[in-house]
This record gives sequence, structure tokens and C-alpha cells, in this order.
Amino acid sequence: MSWLEISKFLNEKLSLEYVKNELVKTAYGTEENLLTKLDPRVLLIWYCYFAIVPWFIHSHVVLIGYLLFMLFLTYRAKVSPLILGVMGLGLLGEMLILFIISLLFGGDLETVLPMVWLCIKLGGISLASVAVFTSINPEKFSDALLRLGFPAQFSFSVAYAYRILPTLLEEFQQIILSYRLRGLAPEKSGLFYWRKIVYFLIVFIRSFYPLILNSAKRSRTTVEALETKGFTYGANNLQMIKLKTGYLKLTYNDYAFTMISIFYLIIVHALHYVL
Amino acid sequence: MHKPLIDIRNVSFAYPGNETRVLDGANLQVFEGDFLAIVGGNGSGKSTLCKTMNGLIPRFYVGEFEGEVITDGMDTSVHDVAALSQSIGYVYQDFENQLLRPTVKEDASFVPLNYGLPDFMERGEWALQVTGLAHLKNEFVWQLSGGQKHLLALAGAIAMRPKILIVDEPIAQLDPQHAIQIYDVLKILNEQYGTTIIVIEHHTEFIAKYCKQVVLMDHGRVFWKKAVREALCSVEDLMERQIYPPQVTQAAHYLNLDHYPITLEEAVACFEGRTLSEIHSPKTILKGSTPKLSLKNTSVQYKTLGKKVKKALINISVDFLEGDQVALVGNNGAGKSTLLKLLTGIVKPTEGSLELLGKPLRKITPEELSSHIAYVFQNPEEMFIEDSVRKEIEYYLKVRKIENYGELVDRIMDDFDLTDFQHQDARLMSGGQQRRVSLAIGAAMRPSVIILDEPTANLDIATKSKVVMMLEQLKKHVDTIIIATHDMQLVAEWANRMIVMHAGEVLMDDTTDAIFQQRETLTQAGLVPPQIIALCNELNFPHCTTVEEFAKCWKGAAKRGELVGN
Repeated sequence: MSWLEISKFLNEKLSLEYVKNELVKTAYGTEENLLTKLDPRVLLIWYCYFAIVPWFIHSHVVLIGYLLFMLFLTYRAKVSPLILGVMGLGLLGEMLILFIISLLFGGDLETVLPMVWLCIKLGGISLASVAVFTSINPEKFSDALLRLGFPAQFSFSVAYAYRILPTLLEEFQQIILSYRLRGLAPEKSGLFYWRKIVYFLIVFIRSFYPLILNSAKRSRTTVEALETKGFTYGANNLQMIKLKTGYLKLTYNDYAFTMISIFYLIIVHALHYVL
Repeated sequence: MHKPLIDIRNVSFAYPGNETRVLDGANLQVFEGDFLAIVGGNGSGKSTLCKTMNGLIPRFYVGEFEGEVITDGMDTSVHDVAALSQSIGYVYQDFENQLLRPTVKEDASFVPLNYGLPDFMERGEWALQVTGLAHLKNEFVWQLSGGQKHLLALAGAIAMRPKILIVDEPIAQLDPQHAIQIYDVLKILNEQYGTTIIVIEHHTEFIAKYCKQVVLMDHGRVFWKKAVREALCSVEDLMERQIYPPQVTQAAHYLNLDHYPITLEEAVACFEGRTLSEIHSPKTILKGSTPKLSLKNTSVQYKTLGKKVKKALINISVDFLEGDQVALVGNNGAGKSTLLKLLTGIVKPTEGSLELLGKPLRKITPEELSSHIAYVFQNPEEMFIEDSVRKEIEYYLKVRKIENYGELVDRIMDDFDLTDFQHQDARLMSGGQQRRVSLAIGAAMRPSVIILDEPTANLDIATKSKVVMMLEQLKKHVDTIIIATHDMQLVAEWANRMIVMHAGEVLMDDTTDAIFQQRETLTQAGLVPPQIIALCNELNFPHCTTVEEFAKCWKGAAKRGELVGN
């Protein structure tokens, strides 16, 4: 690949447009996979276990067992490469920072080892989150919460946060443009484009403020519209919850998935004593 | 007479923390089957009055409320908004922020779902059918075009089959075809389903064509409620409050006719059978001199989500000269916005080149082009990146470390009448003021070319006429002005040259006068000329761009005894 192609490729992958599409695809992805066939309530409870319990586990065998399970599920859930990339960068970055800090306190290469285990633990948890949230679209997530007894206001906020995301990103893009259309880009790129990168980072960060102010201002219509659309009425109405979440039903798949997960957990924890 | 559906009695209201009464003893009765337009100047209390009808006032906005409102037999100070909303639907002007659900289908059925109706899906689907969105039901709302979002907001409000539907400025941001589409839906609702419809509307031509009654608001009171013909013919009452009746009605009023037409068809019948001679000196196209900015055989295409290649612009070649006042027109999707993005460096041409003062540009980025070209967005809010008007205007000069920029900023603020507001946050100003700030920001960039996207969108007529004055101010600061717009009246009054876009190509590039007389081109591009021009076209009269011109032409002919016929 020539330099030109690489820069073109990077340009395409780093554009906000790409990020927006990936996010929407991840959130509302309609592709069927192993996990989408499950009842979101089961997935949520399942996730609660795998997001909390690993923190209290120190057995290397069990942690690896968990990680392998999550790797399998992530693979089956067809998680977007962007999300995996961001996650990987986060994990590596975290390790690097911790390593540098440990160096300051007289650590050496040996300190890396416990960090690898931490990383495996974090990796397992993150992959569980990614796999689950790729497979539950926000609507199902919100319905599951509603059915599990969370207040309607809360479950609606979850769904609305996702719905407004593409709109916000679009506006964000527009505000960045405002900066660029009146701004002054550095004339020289500098070593490794550092000047350009700093310029864009600053624009990027500063664009958040107008975005927040504008959205705050416009939320008035949203709140009024909620009121005129009978939302508060529905929030106190059991009939609405029944109608809305009536499609959530436990099936054979859910029982099978739960049993297999429990079975796998028993094996992994047993292995800890065997090995 | 039968009982009114909405009965507003002596209502006064002041928003909390504000002394002035937005409503001051308003009285109004609305009957079943009405198709009512509410007109009035800025701050006359139109929206506030509508919000008393569904109980948003006083239940949601707790201010100083007096009087009584009975909607569909319910007292709004006793029943809550949710109960009232079952019989009254409300569509906001800001349509984007009232779409609350991710997909079209879910948004349309949201209200009946909230009220726990088992057939909520069918109701949603019915609403989509009526609004013509049925084929889009599985789409995500952010994939819709502006016109479609508008229709969806409407669908969401009618899914409950409310007895009353209130629509706040339904067509403020739409091209003529979408505007007609919206009103056709309202008409169907009114005539076939018996829905009582209340619109807040500035466009009197639409009122004449679709509405049955008109309410004129003034200083928080209902000045009168009249049948549509009588209302629109009360030209003086309306004009005093900066509301302009249809141009043909104005023309008849200028000429002191005994009987005023309110639609184009009536006007044709009224003025028919005469011949007039030319008095208009046609606008000409500037020639010579090196173009300030030009496009040479440029095309733009991009990949859509499904990896398909979409051609947004096809082989465009245009020159923009010094002194040009260009209007860029065409329907949504014709390629206007891509062309604007191309001229400002936001989009790069796939083929062809962009030339500044005859030299091809090698590096095309927004920052690079901003030294020559300023771009003023359709939505001023998206241009605001600082916390005061002054800082907004000086941003460009400051980052370039221009010497003594303060003086220039002072002068520009003076020209645009902003000196008094210079320390306010632009986001909190009124629509017209925000527009002035956005133009001042553009002027402060001291560009050679300034590009304005829909400068009159979302403004009431009084503020609109000020925009034309502001454009005159702008001329002092720049060489060339390019405006992309749906507002044909602005085009007729201001532009000397018009570029008509259609399906990614330039359909025509000529003087405004010439293009407005080409009926076929106009139809092909989906454009509707201002009524007075359409009238002259229909009757083969000489071309008149304004009502005044028409009146002058007519009176002149009468004086010379040329008014043959009658």
C-alpha cells in the first residue's frame, strides 16, 4: 500500500461519518447472532454476573476460562472492529501507563506480570460488555429494564440517549466545521503531523461546549413533546408496559443458554482445584 | 349555534419571572370542523395561545394565569396535559426534537402506546399511510430528509386520531413541493376525518388556498376571527401588523379595486383581458472581468452506506463575478448543498477543479478557502462557538492576529445593528437577531465571496424584509454574494442572477427575470415563482417582480388609456 492509499484509508476510518455509522450499526445492528436470539432480560442478568464477579476472582485458571468464553461470544456476536480497536487501545494504554507509574516507584519488568493478569480480567469484563451490548439493541435493552421493574422514565432515557446520538454527532460535525471555517490551521504539518493533530484535538475538544449548550436549549421542545405525547400518562400505566414489552418471552434458547453458562462455570471453577 | 370545541375566555398569562403579559384578555371560540389559521406579528402571543388549548399553560408552565379554557368539554386548569392530549395533538415548529423514537414506525405509534391502546401499531400505520410515509416505516428517523421528518412529526400527532390538531408553522423550512404535501395532508384530515385544524402560519397564500377561518392576534388579544376571504381582504389590519396578504390581494388593494382576489386563479379572472406595455428595465448579467471564483467541469460523488456510488454533482461549470448577486435554487436533493460544500472546501471534487481569481486551487480545505470565502449556515446556532456576540465576530480576526481588529469589529457591529447586544450570548437571542449575528460573522471574515444558506428560513415576514436590507449592508464588505434558498420572493427582489439546479446538474443559469418567465424550466425544477410574477406570466403581462411594480405598471397604463378590454 502506498502512502497515499494509507492516508486515504485512515482518512476514511477516522472520519466522524464512519464513527457515526459504526456506532449506529453497533447499537441498532439487525444482524442475527447467537445472542440476539435470547431474551434481553436473560442477557442483562447474565451480564451482571460477568461484569461483577470477575473482580473478586484471583484464580488464573478461572480468569482465563472466563476470557476464553468471552472471546468465543465476542466472535459469535460479530462485534464491530472499531469498538474492538478502541477497546484494545484502551487496555494497552492502561497497561502502559501503569507500567510507567510502577517504574517511577522502582518497579521493573517483573511488575508487568501482575498487570497482564489485571488486563486479562479487564479484557474478559470488557468483552462481555461489548458482546452483550452489540447484541441487545437499545430498544430491547430499554424494554428489558422496564419489564424488570425499573421506572419508565429511566428506561425511556436509555432508549432516547441512543436515538439522539446520531443527531448529536451530526451537530457536532457541524460545529467542528464552524471552527474550521473560521479557524487557522497550522501551515506546516510538523514531525508526524503533530501540529495538525494538536490543532484538530483542540478544535475537537472545544466543540463540545457549544454542542452541550445548544442541546440544553433545544431539550425544551423534547420535554414539552413528551408531555403532549402522553408519556407521563403511560409511565404510570401498567397496560402500556404490557403492550410494549409483550413480545419478551423466555424460550428454549434462553434456558439452554443459561444451563450451558452455568455448566461452563462449574467446569472452570472445578478446574481451579484440579490444576 | 352548537357548542364550541375550544372555548377560551378572558385568558391572560405571563411567563414566570416576566412582568409582561404575553396573553392579555384573549377570547376565542373554535368549532368542530374549523380549519383555522392564526396570524400575528412577533410576540403577539400566537404560540402561547395555542399552548393554553392543551393545558401546557397553565399546567406545565406555571405562570400568572387568569381566565378559563375549555377544550373538548374539559377545563384545562383541572385536567392534566396527558388527559387533554388524547383529544388534541400538537406539532412543534422544531420538528427534529419531537421525534422521540428511533424508527419511523415506533415514533408514529408512540402516543397510542402511551395511552395503552392495544391497536397502537395499526394506528401508527394508519398515520403513516395518511402522511404518505408507509414505505419508510422501518427506516431510522435520522435517515429521513427534512421534509420527511416534518411529515413524521405530523404522523406522530395524528395517530391518536385527535379531534383537534395544532400545527406551529408547518412549512417554515420546506421547499414548495413539500409544503403543498403537508397542507394536502392537513386538508385530508380536515375534510375526510373531520379533524379540527389550527395552524400558526405566515404564508398567506397557503391560508387562502387551504384554511377556512383566520384569527388575527395583536398584543396578546384576539383582534378578530373572520372567514378566510373576509380576513385576507382586511388588508390594512394585516399590513399594519406586518402580515402580508397574498400578493394578488395586495395588488388589488393598491389599485383600489372593489373586489379583491385571494388566489392566483381569482386574480387571473380579475385582471384578464388587458394588455400592458413594458416599463420594467430588465436586470442584466455582468460580463467581463476575471471571475472571483469558478468551477471547471467539477463532479462530486460519494459512497452511500450500501457501498453504492451516488453522483451528487455532475459536470458543473460556473463562474462567479465581482458584483454578482446569485441565487442558487432547486428542490431538496437537487445538489444545492453539495455545491455549497464544494465551494467552501468541505467537500472535495471527484473530478474537475476549483479556481480562485483564475488560478486553480491545489489544496482544498475549509481553513484554506476561508481566507476568500465565508459560509453562513442555515442554522445560525451551529455557527456559535463563543459566549458573546463580539467574540463570535472577532474569532476569525483574532486567530489570524490581524492588527487593530477591534475597529473593524466595531464598524461591522454598527452596520448590523448589534452594538447593543455585543456582550450577550448569541444563542439566547431571537431568530432575527441570530441571523444578523451570523451575517456579521461572515462579513468580519472580509471574504471576497460570501455564501448564505437559506438566510430567510424560520423568520417571520417582518424580519425577512429586514434581511434584504442586511444584504445591502453586506454588499459593502464583499465582492460576490451567493444565496441558496427556497424563498422565491427573496430571489425576485434581490438576485440579479439565478442558477437552477436539478438532479445534480445546472438546469439554467441566467438573469432572474429571464428564468422566472420560463414556465417549463420552473416546473421541471419544482419551483413556484412569487404570485405576482406567476400572474404576469399567466396574463402575458410585462414582467413585474413586486406588487409595487405591478401597480405602477397598471396605473401607468390606465393613465395612458392603454387598458384595453374589460
